[in-house]
Amino acid sequence: MKKNNIEGWLFVSPLVIWISLIILVPIYIAFELSLFNVKIIGTSGKFVGIDNYIKLFGKSKFVNASLNSFYWIIGNAICQTFFAFTIALTINYKFPGKKIMANWIILSFIIPTVVVVVIWKLMLSSSSGVINSVLIDIGLLDEATGFFSSPNKAFISLVLINSWRWSPFLALIILSGLNSINREMYDASKVDGANFVQQFLYITFPNLKSVLFVLGLVGTLLSFNIFDIIWLITKGGPSSATTTLPLLIYETAFTKFRISQAATLSIVTSFLLLLFSIIFIKSMAPKEDD
Amino acid sequence: MIKEKNIKLIFLSLSLLLIILIFFFPFFWIITSSFKSPEEIIATSTTIIPRSFTLEHYNKILFNSDFFIYLKNSLIVSFSSMIISIILSVSAAYGLHKLKFYGNKFVEYSLLVTYAFPGVILLVPIYLLFAKVNLLNSYFALIIVNVLFATPFAVWMLKAFFKLIPNEIEEAAYIDGASRYIVISRIIVPLAAPGIASVAIFCFIISWTEYLFASILISGDDLKTLPVGLAGIVGQYQIDWGFLLSGAVLASLPVILLFVFIGKYFVSGLTEGAVK
Repeated sequence: MKKNNIEGWLFVSPLVIWISLIILVPIYIAFELSLFNVKIIGTSGKFVGIDNYIKLFGKSKFVNASLNSFYWIIGNAICQTFFAFTIALTINYKFPGKKIMANWIILSFIIPTVVVVVIWKLMLSSSSGVINSVLIDIGLLDEATGFFSSPNKAFISLVLINSWRWSPFLALIILSGLNSINREMYDASKVDGANFVQQFLYITFPNLKSVLFVLGLVGTLLSFNIFDIIWLITKGGPSSATTTLPLLIYETAFTKFRISQAATLSIVTSFLLLLFSIIFIKSMAPKEDD
Repeated sequence: MIKEKNIKLIFLSLSLLLIILIFFFPFFWIITSSFKSPEEIIATSTTIIPRSFTLEHYNKILFNSDFFIYLKNSLIVSFSSMIISIILSVSAAYGLHKLKFYGNKFVEYSLLVTYAFPGVILLVPIYLLFAKVNLLNSYFALIIVNVLFATPFAVWMLKAFFKLIPNEIEEAAYIDGASRYIVISRIIVPLAAPGIASVAIFCFIISWTEYLFASILISGDDLKTLPVGLAGIVGQYQIDWGFLLSGAVLASLPVILLFVFIGKYFVSGLTEGAVK
């Protein structure tokens, strides 16, 4: 199809302008703030140059939050890939009730995050949670445990809760990729004697490349940015074990009132994410043949 | 051959059981719990079948709280965000995937990369920016942010639908003398309707569930949205579980209702739009 430069730009420009204004202006403001020493919102501070940046890298809080964010991304990627593929491959089979399940599996994604928090706070409650009483009944636990009381347990519980919210949505996108695979390829491979593990590795997986590309990119960025689930359940504790970078930024700005420090953190974080995205796109973007 | 079939069947039933337990049981649990007496909700011994039934929590939240104010705010913000998102993303997707212009790949990827900036990173500067232009404490503040978060993915979702529309239909219309406006409103939009429906529901969900910005950009009680109102109860030291659970159920109801009517478009929009 012939290129249509002026009209093409005309159609994308409203969205492009909207998004760039709401991203670039704030990033500029954040950058400016990061060079000053502003504490409470609305007050002015003195110019400190790149002081905030130098101090940042020496801070154990920053290092701790970066590590937590890293583990958070990895943990969520593993859990969500597992859940999402399980759901997608299951729904891809024919069974009674398949349509209903495919439609409603996404329930955990369409409800407000706050409701997700309410659900799991109740189910995992140490005093009256149903999970605790089931685990005791079947003999896996001797007494009720606090799922958010120790650093490791809290972190793992949060990863699982967040995966519970996102996996069904990812599963449906994977399913779209599965549906676009030519059925004949499976039949042909069966004739050649392939079992279903081989089919998955040599047909399913390679054909999902372009879907997995977008999920890998957007999924990583989205899970990095998760804030509300963590904040509303553990507030980043116990002892900062669940304080990821987004929580650290929030805390620095709105509970410690160090706006310039928070802005510096935002700039550094944006830079890291942007770098990740560029590398990811450059190395993983699928070739398109149109 | 028969052996492999049996293994598959065992796998299928096992994973079905797991999926139902993990992804559906929690909903059964909070819905039934919201009708239990306060004593049963916090009782240490739990039974799957509820032992008590009461409407007191719903009574309290409907007639003795700000629920309807929050509901109205959430509805206004979500519907406006949804409509603006649809207009912007349909127009952008049309430009990107039907017109093809110099730099369209760059724009397509840049849109996805905007997800490198959402959430807390933008929170502080957006707060300052909105304070400067007097947008704090307004519906529009939330709408601006929701559109920002919903549209990049919406454009990507529309791609598959737009690619399915053969260029020949459009070209034939132009030969018959149709204008661009006629082509878009009479051909593109109707043919991409399932895609637009799924984008609509996606944008509505994003706006309906947004908590972070709503909690910071809005301070007046009369403008708070449902998630912020609910989070206020979660944060209390002594949680009134019955009150909270009935609130959670009611706050989920509008999206669930919306999903009952156009949910199948959303799911088929995600699953059948043959992503290439």
